[in-house]
Amino acid sequence: MGVVGSVLSFSCYEGLVFGLVAIGVYLTLRVLAFPDLTVDGSYTLGGAVAAVLIVAGVNPFLASLAAIGAGFCAGLITGILNTKLRIPALLAGILMMVGLYSINLRIMSGANVSLLREVTSFDIIANLLGMRNGSIVVSIILALVIAAVVFFILNWFLRTEIGLSLRATGDNEQMVRSLGGDTDKNVLLGCAISNGLVALAGAIVAQGQGFADVGMGIGMIVMGLASVIIGEALFRPKGVAWLLVAAVGGAFVYRLFITIALRMGMAPGDLKLITAVLVVIALAIPYIRKKARREWIPPAVRW
Amino acid sequence: MKKGMILMLGLCLILIAAALPVVSSCDTTEEMYTVCITQIATHPDLDNNRQGIIDGMAEMGYVEGENVEFVIRNPEGDMTTQATIAEYFVSLNPDIIQAITTPSAQTVVAAAEGTDIAIIFSSVTDPVAAGLVPSWTEAAANVTGVSDWFEMPPQIELILSVMPDVQVLGIAYNAGEVNASVQAEEFKAAAATFGLTVVEATAASTADVYAAGMSLVGRCDAVWIPTCNTVGGVGIESIIQVGEENGLPIFGSALGMIETGLVGGCSVDYYWVGLQAGYMAARILDGEDIADIAPIKAAVSTIVYPAAALRMGITIPQSVIDAADVVLED
Amino acid sequence: MSAESLLQLKKISKVFSRGTVDEVKALNGISLDVKAEDYITVIGSNGAGKTTMLNVIGGVFPPERGGKVIVDGTDIAGLSEYKHAAYVGRVYQDPNIGTAAKMTIEENLAMAVLRGKSRGLRVACNKQRREEFREALAPLKLGLEGRLSALVGTLSSGQRQAVALVMATISRPALLLLDEHSANLDPRTAQIVLGLTEMIVKREKITTLMVTHNMELALRYGNRLIMMHEGRIVVDLNHEQRTGLTINDLITAFERASGSKFNEDELLLRG
Repeated sequence: MGVVGSVLSFSCYEGLVFGLVAIGVYLTLRVLAFPDLTVDGSYTLGGAVAAVLIVAGVNPFLASLAAIGAGFCAGLITGILNTKLRIPALLAGILMMVGLYSINLRIMSGANVSLLREVTSFDIIANLLGMRNGSIVVSIILALVIAAVVFFILNWFLRTEIGLSLRATGDNEQMVRSLGGDTDKNVLLGCAISNGLVALAGAIVAQGQGFADVGMGIGMIVMGLASVIIGEALFRPKGVAWLLVAAVGGAFVYRLFITIALRMGMAPGDLKLITAVLVVIALAIPYIRKKARREWIPPAVRW
Repeated sequence: MKKGMILMLGLCLILIAAALPVVSSCDTTEEMYTVCITQIATHPDLDNNRQGIIDGMAEMGYVEGENVEFVIRNPEGDMTTQATIAEYFVSLNPDIIQAITTPSAQTVVAAAEGTDIAIIFSSVTDPVAAGLVPSWTEAAANVTGVSDWFEMPPQIELILSVMPDVQVLGIAYNAGEVNASVQAEEFKAAAATFGLTVVEATAASTADVYAAGMSLVGRCDAVWIPTCNTVGGVGIESIIQVGEENGLPIFGSALGMIETGLVGGCSVDYYWVGLQAGYMAARILDGEDIADIAPIKAAVSTIVYPAAALRMGITIPQSVIDAADVVLED
Repeated sequence: MSAESLLQLKKISKVFSRGTVDEVKALNGISLDVKAEDYITVIGSNGAGKTTMLNVIGGVFPPERGGKVIVDGTDIAGLSEYKHAAYVGRVYQDPNIGTAAKMTIEENLAMAVLRGKSRGLRVACNKQRREEFREALAPLKLGLEGRLSALVGTLSSGQRQAVALVMATISRPALLLLDEHSANLDPRTAQIVLGLTEMIVKREKITTLMVTHNMELALRYGNRLIMMHEGRIVVDLNHEQRTGLTINDLITAFERASGSKFNEDELLLRG
């Protein structure tokens, strides 16, 4: 396939899958203005639920749907902690993330569930298409189909009456209340959908990497945040549809940089530093360009 | 927006082009073999393992730079990056991939599915449960390796030989690490056969290690640490501090942690594990079919550290010191 | 329209920071009878309780126990804020509060049109609704009907306030509450907005309460005038009593009713 093709195609796959995480983070962070840290926990929850069900003999697609349901419930609880118990959003997410660690250990009856000898969604698609398991094409097709379905559903949903109310809640909560919108319900719904998506990503990744592990979600919120922010900075999207695309695009760019850094062959421990430097360079380009043209530079965004 | 995208793609292509020279030197020719190595994180035992692989292959005639190119990548604990590394390795179509630790091996095997790249695992406690090989005596079609499984009774016997009057033992480990939790269960079962009870303390991350250790003080007579990266690796200094400050003897299960200042223990020699993995690789490069090479378990050596024991308030009997395989000194 | 009351306030009190050094009785046993199609202007000094009264009617917080807010026969005093929305439309002093800056004009109006109704999974901005929005915006003569896809954040204050006004009235609520809604605008824009208010209120026959600091406006608009002082209504003039009054007459009426010297320079200067 050639180096360039291989790098781009794998980043494509990772971009699409982690794009789901990015979209989930975008839904809570930007649309709802709710910084939700449950992500690390719900991602692993999705992987754990899917893995345990698949090992028990459940159809992998159904197992993935169950994973969405589990993530949905986790998000609901985060929302309830915030809206009913008045626990600040940030803390509610942290509490859930911490609690889910133990819950995930219980679900998996241990720290790791192997899927290497099981039939996963990837295997089924590979057989359908007559390709070898583990082929990157299979992975991309599966991820693309799922991402496309999610995109269309969300694009439609965010334009419905309820979706509009959700978007307005993050923009001007007071206004929504005075227009008769139940902002508490909106927060619950938004958190639930967001974590359902993240759990779906966890389920897909677990099937792709051959195992679910209690540590797989560590750093997911960072990845989601980085993807959303990189996407916004590089693509400068306007409108719901482009914002969703930008989240996926940001994930793609972030994973691409990690892949490139890997191939550059620096000392193994320097990988994270190189990734960070590459991201900084990428984000500095628009700034440098504007300065060179003496254009107005907007003030720094705090988050 | 369009300009941003074009610039982005341009940058990516430039960077990829920059990376090309490094990668292209990995092309397999008649004489140069490509061997990829990955370990989940930097850690003394895992590093010894890796060095053992390189030395083992060199011993059998496969020397770095002469006829073997090693591609080594380390995701520093990030499992998502481990998957990216695995994918990268597969794209290089190497002759052999050496995967150190369970998550690394699982990721590599999943990424290589459908190819026939030979994969050798090392430092995997239970390769059957991990789905790497069908049984302890059979290799998979393209996977085999060296397990760092060890039997529990010798561990307990060593503790009893140093402290014959123990009644209650404590374990400290990270329940989130597969190897550690498997060993913890085994240890509890084995201790029961010796008529001893076991109490546990878990630490989910390095920051929790000291507290976990402190929670065992007063609840047990001695503590044993399984091969846990969190407690036995990064957090070992905290545990040693607990032991020395409170006169609680701490025993370990790997040379790396015992060396840092524990009373002693039975350790798998991770360098030896690496050597075996290196020999296996050499056999495959020589032409043997990987499916014929059965997985093997590691041998265990007894290690004691009298000076450290003194600091924790006990003296190791001379007979035990004499019988040990390795005696450490300050 | 029947002469029955649309809104009745019965014994409304409100105490803030009860039991502390800062305790203040913002409303002191107010009772008010608002008939349908009344357009009441409410004036009073700072701290008189005007905004607090609007907040109680709007459901931001409940009155003290025993107080009743009866709209069309139902006591809505204990309901949460978003449930009040079915009965009440509000325009605030700050144009930023009434609208969502990151959404378009049509999206804001789509939110407003469903005030008090349940929201479902229908697409919010369809052709029919867009026509409805254009019809609602056209009489403003601000050109907004041609800019439905513009982000509200890009509009000027006056335009935003006009949109807020349309949003408050497009669902034809029983009550319209205006809280100094022209105070933050420059004189020319304030004039336009007030004119629009008059037009919409008359056309849709909406019962309105308008709080203002400006005595001149209070006399110019509406058919009834209320003056509040220290949490009580001290002056209540109906249409006949109001006509022909000047600001000085108002001040005299105030002093007579409240028994205290009138010394609010702010109200005088604003006049």
